[in-house]
Amino acid sequence: MWHIAKRELYDNLNSLRFALATVLLLALMLTNTVLYLREHPKRIQAYHNAAAGAVKTLEGRSASLYRLATEGPGDLHKAPSLLRFCAEGDEAFLPTRVSGANYARRIADRTPIWRMGYPQETPNLRNIRPDFTTLDWAFIVGYVLSFVAILFTFDAISGELERGTLRLTLANAIPRHTVLMGKFLGVFISINIPFTIVVLMNLILISTSDAVQLNPEAWGRLGILYGIIILYICLFIALGLLISAAVRESGMSLVVLLLIWVSFVVFMPNTLASIGSRTSVPIAYEEFWTQRIRLADAAREAYRDKYGDSQITPSVHVLAEYVTTEAEEHERYNASYLKQQIEQGKRARAITRISPAAIVQRLFESFAGTGFERHLQFVENVQRYAREYREFVVDTDRADSESLHVIGIQEGMSQKPVNPEAIPKFKDRLSLSKDFNTAAMDLLLLVLFLVVLVSGAYLAFVRLEI
Amino acid sequence: MLKTLIRRELLDNLMTFRFAAVLLITLLLVVANTVVLIQDYEQRLESYNDAVKMHQQVLHNSKTYSTAYLDVDRAPNPLSIFNVGLDKRLGNLVGIYHGFMPTLWDARMHGTDNPFIAFFSSIDIVFVFEVILSLMGLIFAYDAIAGERERGTLRLVLAQPIGRGQILLAKYISAMACLLVPLILSLLFALLLLTRSMPLSTADFLRIAGIVLTSFAYLSLFYLIGLLISVATRRTGTALMLAMFVWGFLILVYPNLIRATVKPDGDIQARVKTAHNQIQQILDEYERERQKFLEKEGIAEEMSEFSKALGFYHQADVNPVTLTTYIESISVLSEIRPDFEKYVPVAKRYYNFVEPLATRTVEKAWRIRKQALDEIYVKQATTDRILLKLSPVGIYDAATQAWAGTDLSGLRDFFEAARRYRNIIIDYLYAKDAFASREWFVADKGTVDWRTLPQFTFQRSDVGINAKRALPDLFLLLLINLIFFTIIFLIFVRSEV
Repeated sequence: MWHIAKRELYDNLNSLRFALATVLLLALMLTNTVLYLREHPKRIQAYHNAAAGAVKTLEGRSASLYRLATEGPGDLHKAPSLLRFCAEGDEAFLPTRVSGANYARRIADRTPIWRMGYPQETPNLRNIRPDFTTLDWAFIVGYVLSFVAILFTFDAISGELERGTLRLTLANAIPRHTVLMGKFLGVFISINIPFTIVVLMNLILISTSDAVQLNPEAWGRLGILYGIIILYICLFIALGLLISAAVRESGMSLVVLLLIWVSFVVFMPNTLASIGSRTSVPIAYEEFWTQRIRLADAAREAYRDKYGDSQITPSVHVLAEYVTTEAEEHERYNASYLKQQIEQGKRARAITRISPAAIVQRLFESFAGTGFERHLQFVENVQRYAREYREFVVDTDRADSESLHVIGIQEGMSQKPVNPEAIPKFKDRLSLSKDFNTAAMDLLLLVLFLVVLVSGAYLAFVRLEI
Repeated sequence: MLKTLIRRELLDNLMTFRFAAVLLITLLLVVANTVVLIQDYEQRLESYNDAVKMHQQVLHNSKTYSTAYLDVDRAPNPLSIFNVGLDKRLGNLVGIYHGFMPTLWDARMHGTDNPFIAFFSSIDIVFVFEVILSLMGLIFAYDAIAGERERGTLRLVLAQPIGRGQILLAKYISAMACLLVPLILSLLFALLLLTRSMPLSTADFLRIAGIVLTSFAYLSLFYLIGLLISVATRRTGTALMLAMFVWGFLILVYPNLIRATVKPDGDIQARVKTAHNQIQQILDEYERERQKFLEKEGIAEEMSEFSKALGFYHQADVNPVTLTTYIESISVLSEIRPDFEKYVPVAKRYYNFVEPLATRTVEKAWRIRKQALDEIYVKQATTDRILLKLSPVGIYDAATQAWAGTDLSGLRDFFEAARRYRNIIIDYLYAKDAFASREWFVADKGTVDWRTLPQFTFQRSDVGINAKRALPDLFLLLLINLIFFTIIFLIFVRSEV
């Protein structure tokens, strides 16, 4: 087997396609490095500035617990991923913050309580430059490397069949599966040599630059990504061998492979996502907006109807009830709209799982800590922090025996200043175990695809008439 | 003799597996994507209609001139199905206001899209062609000469009294005839679906014809690239590898590589800053004039009282990034208290003086802003597009966008129309003597009648203008075709068989 693999390897190493693939991959990875090193420090700086600003604003409110209870934690920012050069995902389209502020109108003649809002962003609204895809690992692997894998395998069997050398090989006492494995290994190694070299170059450049420090966790994630890449390459090699054995004629097998590649890699992810997103369409943004205003008006109206003209002054408890209910309702409504949007995003993504390229894109995003799943984690982090923050306000208030313990009303709350250090600060963290959870399904699917294709290639080759 | 050759080639090509496979996949992709795109278009159209209705409603609800909110909407372009260009990306509604110059940098979106699905770009028909037609052209061409040379049939053909140019011509004509089948067939299917669900005008059909013509030139160019490789190499295997890597480079890699590496000019911020300062000066001058007027009228000291009387809100500002300049003065009172009635004549004079001044001021600022925006953002985008044109995909994309009217110029037409409409509105206000009217700031004695207000209409540019924008790129494609054919001819004539 090693003999066959070695032969295959030497054949490939001296070929034109090997040289061209190396040059192409090298150019792409170099660009990737340069762009990342140019953009990433700026992104980190912007995030740190924003986060530091948010903490400062928050600590500025520590003079009174009431301010903390009504004005809220302010903007909560999403930490940029260190591994963005692996997968940019839809990072550019996603909001980078969630706001926790009291931007509503007054209710019950009181300052409203803060609520979580999920800002919409249209980053491309003024962008008149032409579209492009970021040259991240996900693109280099998903598109270019799979294309290269096809070009390396389409004639692996059909070519030898045509030249008649396969007959010679099989005339020796070697079982067919060994021949197949040998070919598989040969192609695998010859693709991996240039790819591993450019990946190492990319990582060396990035890790030695002063601007970026890759921590052990990042290296772990990179290791996982490398494993996924191996799986993905194997998948396309298996596909190439399968078609090459099944079609018997190299010209034909290339056409078939190219068409499969174009459909599954280029078209399917987008077309299927468009179809999938139609199965769960959120209400229009205007509709959402109008309904929210209606909701807010109703809360204020209810108060006015009851207490607007009457002489009775409502008690602090009643006031607190109005103020908190309004904020809670508003927040729930915001969250429900976000949920609708997320549901659509999930539907769009679920259906694209037919395409291995889309699976790999998702896996890359999951382990690089970018994109949709990462954003969901961020939202979850923010919501957990919001609970923590609210508990902090209640607990601090409870600790003061002079307070009436009515949250949200100035005279009902503790009047003592708060220790700015004690206020919980938002920290956006990524958890590798969670990433594994979200990625498990995709990983399994990828392995399944691989198993099906490898056994397909085996069967096609074993039954091949020569 | 040429006829015989063409017939032979045609039969050779038509009876192949690759022809059937390519035909099938093109039809499948174009039809599937057209169905998706039509649904998408219908959804956008619905959202547009809702927005128009809503904005009409908002306008008719405003009782005074100064509080009127007039937004105009951009309808989705039906030809965006062919090439979506900037049609979906840029803002589709913009405010019309005499103290503000609407541009595409000020436009907003009705119906903000879900950010979680924004990543998946819609695949338009031109994109399908970009990928498939180029691949098709190369697959049909790589073995055209190299294959015959390998099989030795080239020698046989050349033994006949036929010029080498004729052989090339025969190959070219027959391959193009074959390749046109999937192109035309899939387009016919797409048109069938389109005409069933949306009305297309004669002009639209002409534009589509332009797109077809450009697609043809694009396809032919890739066939010629393949043929060049085939003529220049001795072996089909080498030719195939070269062709595939050329394809990968031109379609997959180059457009993304070049777009990512071009860095925006470093001194953008400086340029924006200069323009910002200039506009700020214009605004300062406006403010001085306004103060002068207030002093002359003797209300400069009573300004707070005056503001209170009118529920007055005034703001003049310029955005430091987009240089959006606006001057707003609004009165938000539904009635004027009897003791403030004395201010009404002054208020009328004030608005009659300030609003025309604001109109002129923003127009003056616009001249600076337009130049700055052109120099900063438009120039950058143009450079990008020129660099993209080093790959045929860039030329094809630009030309089809121009035909469809979804290119930058096509979208700027809309904002041009919005600015014209602004002038119409200003003329209307003058004609009604609105600035000096009581209805400008308060609606206690009669509200504004909006029914006579001229309506906004926007017609997409004439086919002639589309053609004018698209033809340079189309001609460029044709020229490159011609150059390639000449080179191929020269190499083939001098090559040994």
